[in-house]
Amino acid sequence: MMDWLQFYFNFRIVGNYIDVFIAGIGQTLWISILCLILSLIFGTMLALARMSKNPLIWRPVAGYIQFIRSTPLLIQIYLVYYGLPSILPIGNLLDETQTGILALTIHTSPYFGEIIRAGIGSVNRGQVEGALSVGMTQRQTLFNVTLPQAIANVMPPLLGQTAVLIKDTSLLSIIAVFELMGAGLQMFSETVIATESYVTTAVCYLLIYAMMLVISGMLQNKLGGKAWQSN
Amino acid sequence: MESIIDKINIVQSLWPFLLKGLWMTFQISILAILFGSIIGFCLGVAKTLGHYIPTKLINGYLHLLRGSPYLVQLYIIFFVLPSLGIPWLSFDGYTAAIVSLSLYTSSYVTEIVASAIVAVPNGQSEAARSVGMTRYQTYKNVVVPQALKLTIPPMASVYVIVIKSTAVLSVIGIAELTRQGEVAILRMPGDIMFIYCLIALFYFFYCYPVLRFSKWAEGRFGSVGDVDH
Repeated sequence: MMDWLQFYFNFRIVGNYIDVFIAGIGQTLWISILCLILSLIFGTMLALARMSKNPLIWRPVAGYIQFIRSTPLLIQIYLVYYGLPSILPIGNLLDETQTGILALTIHTSPYFGEIIRAGIGSVNRGQVEGALSVGMTQRQTLFNVTLPQAIANVMPPLLGQTAVLIKDTSLLSIIAVFELMGAGLQMFSETVIATESYVTTAVCYLLIYAMMLVISGMLQNKLGGKAWQSN
Repeated sequence: MESIIDKINIVQSLWPFLLKGLWMTFQISILAILFGSIIGFCLGVAKTLGHYIPTKLINGYLHLLRGSPYLVQLYIIFFVLPSLGIPWLSFDGYTAAIVSLSLYTSSYVTEIVASAIVAVPNGQSEAARSVGMTRYQTYKNVVVPQALKLTIPPMASVYVIVIKSTAVLSVIGIAELTRQGEVAILRMPGDIMFIYCLIALFYFFYCYPVLRFSKWAEGRFGSVGDVDH
């Protein structure tokens, strides 16, 4: 009955590669989560440095942010991938996956930083004054009052940027990191059938995206904010 | 001193190729933003009209384009569509690049146009309707002109996204800036870092003014929210 479909899409071949794709999904999620955590930490540091009053601190940081925002991710990946071994004297200290995670973190942190900076700017001044007046130190105010509210305020753009981050991991396949796109490329190079390889890859990415939509919906309900739109 | 002269020589011998690549990047990005804006504008207006089925279809289209990476979309349009056997879908590299990038751009533009139209205060269209304009006249003469002004700052950010996405086209062999750099590296394998830094600078000087313009326009025209990435 479904014979005509075989001509366009052969499920049997996809079935043979299902474990490769599952491994690819796992690897993509793992790389994304690691990058997400690193970028959140590094991005918060960038946001705080960018808000510093000392021009020796905020000017270089602003320059770094502008540079990352105006150059393509692919070039940044190449710069880290080819540049790191020539800067570090030890040579190949990191493998492809670690290099990829480093490059993605370098790329994503400024975006997260700008979002978090906007969040910190949106926290009511009275909150900080109140915290300081009940005797909290600057550090306590930052970590217990300002940052939690800031991050809750900018949850929708943070989630949107996380979705971008997950999609950006596909570019790591160009420097031979194995992840979802790499799984598709592997299937293509072994079977030379484009439709099944690439459409399956796209479907897997859409599955991850659908999962993101569900998770962010739950997160938004919990925080009571505006639901995350698909941008 | 020796090495500086060396680098200047490299720049001089690569200059024509890099300029050719920059021209290609410029050409593709302009065409993509043009076609993408046209598609996105139509879809964005259609989305705000509030008919059930078109809105659902457009949302599905947006989810498809937003949920998958641009690299995958490019591979599907370049490798999968020709294998379907339909003659007019068998693109060459250049056409595939423009088609895929236009579709990708249209997903951003649709959101921007739709949210800009929603951002125009309700009173405007109510007033237009109450002086006897038809629904079409209201859209054409009152709502859309005001909304278009709001789209200027985010459209500039989208243009930067498009320029940066053209770098991905090097994987299907389009001779744009990144690809020209890779070819240059095959000729001079000793200067990988220098050549990539040079290319990064080219992109920087192309994108940075557009980003600054976006920032300036945001203060001038107001904005309907920032674009991711």
